[in-house]
Amino acid sequence: MSHRVDYRDIIAGALLIVLGLFAGFYATANYNLGTLRHMGPGMFPSWLGFMLAGLGFFVLVPALFRAGTLPKPDIRQFIAVLAGTLIFALTINVLGMVPAIFLLTIASVLADDKLGVVGTLVLCVVLSVLAVLIFRVGLEIPLYPFIWPF
Amino acid sequence: MDFFDNLALGLSVAFTPNNLLWCFVGVTLGTFIGVLPGIGSLTAISLLLPVTFHLDATSAIVMLAGVFYGSTYGGSTAAILLNLPGTPSTAVTALDGYPMAREGRAGVALFMTTVASFVGGSIGILVMMFFSPMIVSAALQFGPAEYFAMMVLGLVAASTISSGSPVKGIAMVVLGVMLGVVGSDIETGTPRFTFGIPHLYDGISLVAIAMGLFGVSEVIISIKMIKRGHIEHKNITLRSMIPTRDDVRRSWMPMLRGSSIGSFFGALPGTGGVIASFMAYAVEKKVAKEPERFGKGAIEGIMAPETANNAADQTAFIPTLTLGIPGNVVMALMLGALMIHGIVPGPQLMVKNPDLFWGLIMSFWIGNLMLLVLNIPLIGVWIRVLMIPYHMLYPAVLMFICIGVYSINNSYVDVIAVMVFGGVGYVMRMLDFQPAPLLLGFVLGPLMEENLRRALLISRGDFMVFLERPISGTIVVLTAMLLLLALWGARPKRRGKTLLQDT
Repeated sequence: MSHRVDYRDIIAGALLIVLGLFAGFYATANYNLGTLRHMGPGMFPSWLGFMLAGLGFFVLVPALFRAGTLPKPDIRQFIAVLAGTLIFALTINVLGMVPAIFLLTIASVLADDKLGVVGTLVLCVVLSVLAVLIFRVGLEIPLYPFIWPF
Repeated sequence: MDFFDNLALGLSVAFTPNNLLWCFVGVTLGTFIGVLPGIGSLTAISLLLPVTFHLDATSAIVMLAGVFYGSTYGGSTAAILLNLPGTPSTAVTALDGYPMAREGRAGVALFMTTVASFVGGSIGILVMMFFSPMIVSAALQFGPAEYFAMMVLGLVAASTISSGSPVKGIAMVVLGVMLGVVGSDIETGTPRFTFGIPHLYDGISLVAIAMGLFGVSEVIISIKMIKRGHIEHKNITLRSMIPTRDDVRRSWMPMLRGSSIGSFFGALPGTGGVIASFMAYAVEKKVAKEPERFGKGAIEGIMAPETANNAADQTAFIPTLTLGIPGNVVMALMLGALMIHGIVPGPQLMVKNPDLFWGLIMSFWIGNLMLLVLNIPLIGVWIRVLMIPYHMLYPAVLMFICIGVYSINNSYVDVIAVMVFGGVGYVMRMLDFQPAPLLLGFVLGPLMEENLRRALLISRGDFMVFLERPISGTIVVLTAMLLLLALWGARPKRRGKTLLQDT
């Protein structure tokens, strides 16, 4: 998609400005600035914040005067991969390593159509075995393959 | 004979069974990852950072370094056989390597690039061995003002030379430095930007950022992008690898020129294997008697860039280990790994930890020899690896990320942090922000603040200290020139997509 103005850099610049101003004012308000000779904890971060906002301005303004395209995000891949990671994080302490790997693999495979049900299961088993061999046996890290919650 | 004492020390460290093992693991993994298009050494090193928590500092850095230079060896395999670079710095190798493969000379091309890699690597190591002690002895005189100025130069170089928009590159550096501020202030202990979250008191973890930005978000992008090519030459026999007399004759000079170019650009901040390999190719084409042969399978066209990128890989360690200034993001990760082990980067490293420094250099020799064996007789194995489809690979990458980061503290919160940075990283890429300068800023940020504070304390708050001291003044002027040049280059029209991505 092509637009009259460069929305991508307008968004990018605006984000930098918001983030920079927030950090700059937050640091100025909450931390001791000190003097140049004895810089307090707030001095360096507040400079950085305002610098970031200034850079954001230089990203945003030229973008108003040129055409641009906005890339289309890969929503499906984004959600599948992040969801898989989240599910892993939430299940590893409850169910153990192997079930967490199964869930992670199943979720992440959904990002793509290429692997069928059988292929997915084989991959789950292979990855679980690999993980146990490398982390448990090889590196001797105490990770529990299974946890029985009941 | 101080020099020889150091060599002996290095050899004794590098030859311990443990370090030999980790060197082997590193170069093997490096080749594996280099062969696979879509996973670069950066992703691999991010993935392996958690493992280094379970090793001692020397073994950790020996392994990570092995992955780095090993991947450059492996990268040429995909470039030659598939016309796809396995790593960015082998992109040029495809220009003449793939035509050679189509002429049925894939074996020769694979053999000769391995030889070129070895020659380049060796010359790079020699350069490093001879120049590092000199640089260290000069750098020991540096004060906080010089350090601060040098870090600024390094960051400006890294963010403006190779990324698309210099303003956005610098913005990423600043953002990275700001993320580095999060946590307790070193001098006063004041918690900064922690918002009452206890996990943030020790700062944001390097592992979470690296894995999120270079692991998870890389996977999201690659799923749709990476396609597998068709390999015509599944069986490379040892006999087919023997070069003709003409090949050998034509290769000498390109290798020498390539390694000089590579050694030079590797040591400069902001440049590295990618730029070095492009330059080496351009130079060969310029000096060639028959430039029309290039692009049609000229052996000079693979020898020069392959020596250049491997030489650059080795000399990239010079500024990193002697000054503590990483020239590119892979080196920043190496420094990060050292800092995790409580080793402060800088010229003191060579003085205080000579075993680590010389042990690492000696491990480079061993690693390069191992790579020679891995890449010539075992080439068939890597061609099989090349055929692993990406849709089976990325769940494995995610699995290693998740378990790796979890294994550091047995904390699921760390995994969630990786997920958050993965999401942030993806949005950043969509907005055309490069993650590499951010990570560089993050690693150098705390050191910059410390040196800035110290420099201003000594000068009683006078900023002229950065200009008045001759070395620091020179560096400041260089930085200003670089900035002006970058902004000038970006001004007319829009500069195209980044040709030279960060390694």
